[in-house]
Amino acid sequence: MALTLSACAPTKPPNIGLDDAARMLADARAAGAPTYAPLELRNAEDRLSQARASFDKNHYDDASRYASESRVDSELAMVKSRLGKAREKADNRTRENAQLQQDIANGISPTAAPSGDRQ
Amino acid sequence: MNRLLLAALLAFFAVGAYAAKQDLDYERLRASLNALAVDPKLGNLAPAERALAEQAVQALNDSSGGKAEHAHRLYVAERRVDIAYAAAQAVDTEGRLTQLDREHDRILIEASRREIETARMEAEKQRIASMVQAEESDRLRAEGEQSAAAAEAARAQAEQTKRIADAQAKEAELARKEAQLAELAASDLRGRLQNIRATRGAQGMQMTLDDIAFAPGRAALRPEAKSSLGKLVAFVNKDPSKPIRIEGHTDSRGNANANQILSQRRADSVRDALIAAGVASSRMTSVGLGEDNAVADNETEEGRAKNRRVDVILEDAPR
Repeated sequence: MALTLSACAPTKPPNIGLDDAARMLADARAAGAPTYAPLELRNAEDRLSQARASFDKNHYDDASRYASESRVDSELAMVKSRLGKAREKADNRTRENAQLQQDIANGISPTAAPSGDRQ
Repeated sequence: MNRLLLAALLAFFAVGAYAAKQDLDYERLRASLNALAVDPKLGNLAPAERALAEQAVQALNDSSGGKAEHAHRLYVAERRVDIAYAAAQAVDTEGRLTQLDREHDRILIEASRREIETARMEAEKQRIASMVQAEESDRLRAEGEQSAAAAEAARAQAEQTKRIADAQAKEAELARKEAQLAELAASDLRGRLQNIRATRGAQGMQMTLDDIAFAPGRAALRPEAKSSLGKLVAFVNKDPSKPIRIEGHTDSRGNANANQILSQRRADSVRDALIAAGVASSRMTSVGLGEDNAVADNETEEGRAKNRRVDVILEDAPR
């Protein structure tokens, strides 16, 4: 009797990194991916829902692959966000510096008004 | 029978085409990674991300696991290569941003310095004019002239007094702004000293203190520079057997003799700061080389700023 029961008990589903994938997706959103890497973010979301769907059907191999793909998509979204932000700041700073130089050349005091958005 | 043969042939070619496609994907990603590795600007910037991409691309050669597994590996490898590129570009752009921030501070400080100079000259001019005015009205009073002339002189003097007050107020305001800028520069300086790196020079490994560690024309290290020398001290203490050569340099503006003296005194300041930090004075030689060893163009402000520096060299050959 006991033997039959244990044989019939559902095997514990393996840990395939779904939680990690969800966490990295949230991190990517927080890092600005909706603005800077919308395509990559979308991929990460799609792969995560596919991973969940496969998991629910007990297709653990597929679920594991999708989860891993979602994680790498999130990672790409994060690094592209970092790049996008840095580019934006560098472009702004370049413009500001050029404006400053021009103001000085035109005899406008650059110290008269608080300048820039230094953090 | 024929049909069977055809089917077999088709299957054969399909497998062949699939294998060829796999090879193409591998070659394409490998070429892309190789290009990143030898890129003069990006090659060294994100080694960890590049190593992960290498692994992912290498895994494409592993043919176990069937078609689905291969498609998965390809998906991951494509992204890993993209991540390696984007990470290197991000590091590169962030470096550029730091440069731009420094440039921004430099422009502001330079402009403020010029404004203050102008304001000081204006205040001085007003003081002299005021003295002349006062003498004139004294003279008129002494001569006992009652008159429009005396009244006019008194009025002019009052006006002059107001102009002095205005000039002084402007000077004070500018001095306040300069203090703010100095604080900005001080935190920039601390950041730079904490990020200072050793490079290899002709005589051994060296670290360079750039000119903002000193006030313009002054030999003493700024106080905030003195308190941020930890990196430099750790660098020279890494190999206590090696002698330390401290070289002061200036740009080419001004008198060559004065430049040599200033560079010597700046080198001495750095040596004294290192002694205060516990480095044995017997290991150190400080020399002032003046303007003769330029590392950048003396014709531009940026070049001159690079030339004003103190190199701290951990000498390879023992003395």
